[in-house]
Amino acid sequence: MTLQAQEDTFSSRLDLKLWARVFRHALPYKHLLIPLVIAAIAIAGLEASFALVTRWVVDDVMATDGPLNLWPYAAVYLGIATTFAIGVWVFIIKAGGLSNHMSHDIRRDCFRRLQQLEFAYFDHRPLGWLISRLTSDCDKLARIIAWGSLDIVWASCLIVVISIILVVLHPVLGLLVLSVVPPLILVSAYFQKKILLSAREARRYNSMITASYSEGLQGLRTTKVLVREKENLQEFEDLSSNMFRYSVRNALQSAVYIPIVLTIGSVAAGIALWRGGIMVRQETMTLGTLVAFIFYAGQFFNPINQIAHLLVQMQAAQAAGERVLSLLATQPVIADSPSVVERMESIKSRSLPAGMAPDGYPKTIESIEFSNVNFHYKADEPVLQSFNLKVSAGQTIALVGASGGGKSTIVNLAARFYEPTGGRILVNGLDYRERSLQWYQSNLGIVLQGPHLFSGTVGDNIRYGRLDATQQEIEQVARMVNAHDFICALENGYETEVGESGNRLSTGQKQLISFARALLARPQIIIMDEATSSIDTETEQLIQQGLKTVFEGRISFVVAHRLSTIRSADRILVIDKGHICESGTHEELIARKGHYHALYTRQFSRQKALETNTCVAMN
Amino acid sequence: MATSQSTSEDNNIEGSAFPPARLLWQQMQGFRGLYIAAIFAMLVQTLISLLTPLVASATIDYALSQEPRKGGLPALMVGYMGGPELVRDNLWIPALVMVLLTILAGVFNYAKGRWAAHASEGIARRLKDRLYDHLQRLPVRYHDRSDSGDIIQRCTSDIETLRLALASQVVEVSNAIILMLTAIPIMMILDIRMTAVSFALIGPIILFGYFYFQRIRHLFRGVEVAEGQVTNVVQENLSGLRVVRAFARQDYEIEKFATPNKLYRDRSLRLLRQMAWYWSISDLIVLSQQGIVLFVGIYFISTGSMTVGTLFAFIMFLNMLLWPVRQMGRTLTDFGKSTVAMSRIGEILEVAEESSPVTPLATPALATGHIEVRDLKFAHTPESAAINGISFTVEAGQTLAIVGPSGSGKSTLMHLLLRLYDYESGSIKLDGCELNALDRCWIRSQFSVVMQEPFLFSKTIGDNIRFGQLKAASEDIAEAARVAHIHDTINGFPDGYRTLVGERGVTLSGGQRQRVALARALLRDAPVLLLDDALSAVDSETESTILEALKQRHGRRTTLVIAHRLSTLAQADHVIVLDQGRIIQSGTHSELVVTKGLYQRLWTIQNQTENI
Repeated sequence: MTLQAQEDTFSSRLDLKLWARVFRHALPYKHLLIPLVIAAIAIAGLEASFALVTRWVVDDVMATDGPLNLWPYAAVYLGIATTFAIGVWVFIIKAGGLSNHMSHDIRRDCFRRLQQLEFAYFDHRPLGWLISRLTSDCDKLARIIAWGSLDIVWASCLIVVISIILVVLHPVLGLLVLSVVPPLILVSAYFQKKILLSAREARRYNSMITASYSEGLQGLRTTKVLVREKENLQEFEDLSSNMFRYSVRNALQSAVYIPIVLTIGSVAAGIALWRGGIMVRQETMTLGTLVAFIFYAGQFFNPINQIAHLLVQMQAAQAAGERVLSLLATQPVIADSPSVVERMESIKSRSLPAGMAPDGYPKTIESIEFSNVNFHYKADEPVLQSFNLKVSAGQTIALVGASGGGKSTIVNLAARFYEPTGGRILVNGLDYRERSLQWYQSNLGIVLQGPHLFSGTVGDNIRYGRLDATQQEIEQVARMVNAHDFICALENGYETEVGESGNRLSTGQKQLISFARALLARPQIIIMDEATSSIDTETEQLIQQGLKTVFEGRISFVVAHRLSTIRSADRILVIDKGHICESGTHEELIARKGHYHALYTRQFSRQKALETNTCVAMN
Repeated sequence: MATSQSTSEDNNIEGSAFPPARLLWQQMQGFRGLYIAAIFAMLVQTLISLLTPLVASATIDYALSQEPRKGGLPALMVGYMGGPELVRDNLWIPALVMVLLTILAGVFNYAKGRWAAHASEGIARRLKDRLYDHLQRLPVRYHDRSDSGDIIQRCTSDIETLRLALASQVVEVSNAIILMLTAIPIMMILDIRMTAVSFALIGPIILFGYFYFQRIRHLFRGVEVAEGQVTNVVQENLSGLRVVRAFARQDYEIEKFATPNKLYRDRSLRLLRQMAWYWSISDLIVLSQQGIVLFVGIYFISTGSMTVGTLFAFIMFLNMLLWPVRQMGRTLTDFGKSTVAMSRIGEILEVAEESSPVTPLATPALATGHIEVRDLKFAHTPESAAINGISFTVEAGQTLAIVGPSGSGKSTLMHLLLRLYDYESGSIKLDGCELNALDRCWIRSQFSVVMQEPFLFSKTIGDNIRFGQLKAASEDIAEAARVAHIHDTINGFPDGYRTLVGERGVTLSGGQRQRVALARALLRDAPVLLLDDALSAVDSETESTILEALKQRHGRRTTLVIAHRLSTLAQADHVIVLDQGRIIQSGTHSELVVTKGLYQRLWTIQNQTENI
């Protein structure tokens, strides 16, 4: 909600400090920026000089009787025109180049930063929101910086040059004509803002319409089954009517704005004609000067319009600027500490002894220990409190308990997606914040609840676990998790495209592939978070058998609802409200007749009852 | 795939420019009057704006020059203003007339803008509404085969292209044409030689613009494609964020992003170079045209065959003409795009909507819920039958359980019952009436359904539960939510039933979504309840509570349950086991458990842990 509100703010004032910071991003492009400014100044000067040429030739022709040799005038005119065209070429190339290079670089830096930021950053920022930061915001900023600096230089130069020419040609009349400039600026600023606001509303409804189409398609079956077509259409019509209203309003604002500006321009031309005419009749002014004055009176509109437009755009894009800058300025909280970076740097120069990770500690993970770990997502809602747990290589730990009890948090901490807010997590007895993050995480094999695949082939997706794996290795892990057979049955086997986020496959198939992918990574730590929930009973059974070999020698964490999945774990932890309320093997816990026993028997009570019936029936 | 698509698109542009244009014309129906009014306003506005330079021109010639001229259009103008003498001594008169004429033109400009906007936006709105409604009435089979990304593209960017065409391109082109048609006679009255001179380069300007944009059209497309790739990579990366981190693949991803990011930049730069050439060359042509008018005019003045005022008028007319004329090439190219857009939208609108029998059998408001299926066969594709001869009967109020491995046809069976697909052979009867002879909407309103992966709309939770029953009271909603065991969870959210679902609000877990969908289905309280693996993500404890609550419906409402967990099915009156579209076993739970076969095998696996 707050994000939505941020999106819609239209800053009433221009934050110059912010724009100074934004424009600082243009400094690396001095080689584009300087010719750009020069070209803009040159073009403004040349543009203003055309009316002067007209005045010159008109005055000369009026002063001469008989034919006038026009070639020198034409040559000057052609010279100016050609230079002007070249100037236009230069400024488009430079401004466009600046805009594109900058948006490319800002996008690259933002993307890089997003790869480093911790999960907490993403928790409250919806995907669509982040995507538009990286696409439209970056473009918007770059465009304003490049074309904006061009427009502002060009427009203000043009206004200044014309003003100077007018005042020099005739101070009194010049100032009279210039008196229309302030109202022109006020009107332009007022209307540009209105026009931009209605355009933005129209766009907002337009994107809601897009969302509505997309949701309509996704929820098509639901709509049909609930026979809700009429109501859906009504809701859609509300959106399209609103879009209609704002688009029409936008068009009407322009339809009012343009005539007003033209009227102001005609007032300037009228003043020139009236006062200038009198002077021509008194012969204190030439006819050519009068004509030039009338032409100039009409030339103010364009640059003033451009400046007003730019200022309004800057006001509107302020929020975008802030967002992009703040993203770039956000430092990742979970990253290698300076001491780790330093150690890795010093080791890099020497050759690494066998069995050593790049951070100078042993490669093999012998144990993971949670030592008095506290954790909370929100300061006033602790999720874990003084949590202790030690797991050694070869052990499989199963986590069970009600949802919201902290199971996923424990595995997220183990994966160092989050770090403890209190206490330590030790790898081989050493705080894992002393180890390289990249090294640690590349030793994890994680299968998550909602299996996510990337678009690409089945093979590509498995290979994501280890980029240099051979086809044989891929098939080997696929066999291990019993995915090989169904993959071969797909139309192109391992080369089958899985579609956007894997949507051409069933959830169960996606889970199997994400299993294979995790195994291919040869992880030392395996984390399975509700990984088998969508796999049918028989397949799960097969996977369970395969997993026994996979778990050997590794540290494994398994979170599951289905108790049958976790029976074979070395240790089962019943987690409730951030604490271990029971721990032990399946047999021990059953014998204790506590929480686990209750959970377990409840799950099977109905079957048990039926079993008894069945036995009776059999007898 | 991609290449074939692009060629077919090109064919559309080259081959069938007319049908889409006709389609476009059809879309204007009901708004043509407004368009005509707008064109009329445009005509008046143009005429008035052409008079303004004439006033200045006449003033220059008749009031300011040493030897005032007689006759012609300018004399007429000066005459209207009170004659040369009056004007000469009161130069504020022409100045005022100029301002007044501009205001008057402004009024007509406003009228034109208003009518054109109402017409074009109205057409766009109607088309959008039509498309939306049409899409939700198309058969599921159509949606299965088509790519939803492509449909959305057509609904959004194609409609937008079309809207722009109607709102700006049509208006701009008519503007340019009207301007030329009205300016030419006036210019010819003023000076026929100068008129010819003024149009010397107009043809080349239009042609240059048109052919240039035709030539670089593919570059625009290329930039769009590259931009799409950037968005795609970002989207893929961010939605797979956990996977990226889980495998510490950040560097790989950064590299992967660099390619489209560079491509986008480089293609934009290439387009930019072309645009730089376009603008500088067309500027040069335009300036040459202005130069020619200026110098030929000066020449005529020096020979005494033309006045300064006339030259002034020609320069002003030319300035008015040049902008619309030089935009014309681009406008025409964009207009070409809109015919492609129209034909792409037309392709969707042509597809037939789901049909119901013309005269459906008369039906009571609610069925009793007796279902009879006989020899049902159905295939998604001709090669593979999804349902291959199934027969069973469910008495009203009974519970039928359907079991079977993935792909055995369970869900397809549900879809056929709901008439989401049309069955070709066999029969399905509800209360003894063949489904084919009934109204589709009536059939669907006889079912409460929870699908395998239920879809929730991005509305509040309350609105989602109310989705099929808009008028439901909030007590009923809460009651349905209680039965679905989600009431307490919902109340646990800060906004309760007003909590938004989805990205902007809370992200519900799979189990929570299923339970909300169950509440939605229960609120309908239709004669038949269909549960398609509806509780797979709900933990077993909660599941048993829900099933307990559902038991109370037994005997009152017919229930069809699909599930993997056999414990879910145990209370069914009858169980059928499907495999490869056939019923391979059927009976009660107790019978099936003691019969060798798939059911017993599944039961054994799921109960291996029973040796407490």
